[in-house]
Amino acid sequence: MLTVGIDIGSITTKIAMMDDSRLLHTDVALSGYDMDKAWRDIYARMLQSTSKKDSDVKYIVSTGYGRNIVDAAQKKITEITCHAAGAKYFYPKVKAVIDIGGQDSKFIKIDDSGSVADFVMNDKCAAGTGRFLEVMARALHVEIKDFAAMSNKATKAAVISNMCTVFAESEVISLIAKGESRENIIAGIHESIASRMMSMMNRSGVVKPIVMTGGVSKNMGMRQALEKKIGATIDVPEQAQICGAIGAAILGANSK
Amino acid sequence: MKKKFAYYDTGHEFPEEIVMAAGFTPYKILGDVHVSTDPADRYVQNYICPFSRSCLTEGMAHSQEWAGIAFCHGCDTTNNQYDIWKYHVKTDFLYWINTPAKNDKISRKFHSHELRRFKEHLEKKYDVEITDDKLKEAIKKSNKIKSLMRQLAALRSVKDITNEEYFLAARKCVQMDKDELINDLEKTFQEWKGRPAFPKNMVPVLVTGSDITYPEAMQIFESAGLRVVRDDLSLGERYFAQTIPEGGDPIEALTIYNSRIPQPPTKIPFHVRLDYLRQCLKETKVAGIVLQRLMFCEPNGLDFPFLSRELKKDGYKLIVIEREYTPTIDQQFVSRLESFRELITQ
Repeated sequence: MLTVGIDIGSITTKIAMMDDSRLLHTDVALSGYDMDKAWRDIYARMLQSTSKKDSDVKYIVSTGYGRNIVDAAQKKITEITCHAAGAKYFYPKVKAVIDIGGQDSKFIKIDDSGSVADFVMNDKCAAGTGRFLEVMARALHVEIKDFAAMSNKATKAAVISNMCTVFAESEVISLIAKGESRENIIAGIHESIASRMMSMMNRSGVVKPIVMTGGVSKNMGMRQALEKKIGATIDVPEQAQICGAIGAAILGANSK
Repeated sequence: MKKKFAYYDTGHEFPEEIVMAAGFTPYKILGDVHVSTDPADRYVQNYICPFSRSCLTEGMAHSQEWAGIAFCHGCDTTNNQYDIWKYHVKTDFLYWINTPAKNDKISRKFHSHELRRFKEHLEKKYDVEITDDKLKEAIKKSNKIKSLMRQLAALRSVKDITNEEYFLAARKCVQMDKDELINDLEKTFQEWKGRPAFPKNMVPVLVTGSDITYPEAMQIFESAGLRVVRDDLSLGERYFAQTIPEGGDPIEALTIYNSRIPQPPTKIPFHVRLDYLRQCLKETKVAGIVLQRLMFCEPNGLDFPFLSRELKKDGYKLIVIEREYTPTIDQQFVSRLESFRELITQ
């Protein structure tokens, strides 16, 4: 049975098509201003590339902040539940998920049955999210994709003490003015986010094994900073950014 | 129509009955989330509780409509704003009633003294005699209101009563003429009794934390499919959970009453609030607990780690969530509540 998960995030829209437990197709596109157009376009592209018809799709589940826009979805499920299901698909023994997305960060605990046991999210603030990294990348004139490689070259992580994105940006600019290397600043930014994530995780209690999902998981430097803080390795699925959409498609199959 | 006497109290410490016995209608200042707090922001930094800035804005705009204003030590933020009000809110009578943080013999004696002092100041200022009989009559009226509210609140878990409807009834209690209020609540009770059963698509929860002072905040819970069937809020169950003793000296009765009301976050020791929550949870079956905190609300921020740890140990599912002071339905807030709903219903 073909099911589709559509995850409309603040920055990107992700889609996954599954045939029972087999992943057939995934895709990512920018959400942009017109989220309705974004999911329709990515959905049409999916049908074209898989040579499937709309009528072949038996169940659609939408998730993410834009989930209510998807009028074709039979069910709308929050990204917490979907990311947990997606992580479980890749790592059946997973006990917790770290998901750092464009505008929020989450720590999700999963019980033995695969259901969400608890979750904590960042306060309503960009600190500790993908947006924080974007702002810092702009201040440093560095592409986010280069963050991982550059932080690996750091000799000593700079200390970023401000949690507020706006003030942290000023702090970064001050560090540049003082002649601190960009590599050290980037490593400091990763440590700052990892510290924030760790204090959030401590509120719920850290359990292992941990899987990281969301767009920020593509940043190896961020992952290493988190591993150092937690004192354990973190698994990152190849399709980490699409975990929410995959989870939605899985939950769609279960709903049918 | 009786003139309103305003009070500023983010807990439930204000002795409404003394003001009623003096011939006024007690009016709790609750601010207005739809009105910009720019006037108050000139005197209070905007990283201080937005609700308190909204109350100051209301005080600055409407103080002349009120006979006077009294403060109670509801929380530490409002406590510290008394002097700001003294300078910037025009009123003939601004009074401070200190309420103890502890609940022991000496604290109760102190509180009783504070209530008598307030009574004497009112008598002197407004040239009225607040007799024991008038106080006893006010206490009876208050108890009638509390009893009606308890009956209404109990219907939340069995009938289709929206979060907003309950909130509006609770808000009337602290702002409306008490005789009109009794008629209104009696009619509401008759109407609510005939309502359909608790809807199957809604999930019952207990809400505690910062006071919810505008209906839009309650609508958010509704949007997420959560029904507040129990609460631990000053603009809610704390107002009517206890009855004021009707015998003996009325000021002593008010002191005893104050020592028995469910404890807000500013009081010590911590476990009294926890015990009360446990009792509520024992009385009413809920699927989860929402510990919501208004941005910058320090008292609740300090209580939550302890409360959430203990309640989780008891096996309850709960969410700790921060909200902003806005009438706009905040989708991020709704999303978190929806995730919580999924967690407790999966």
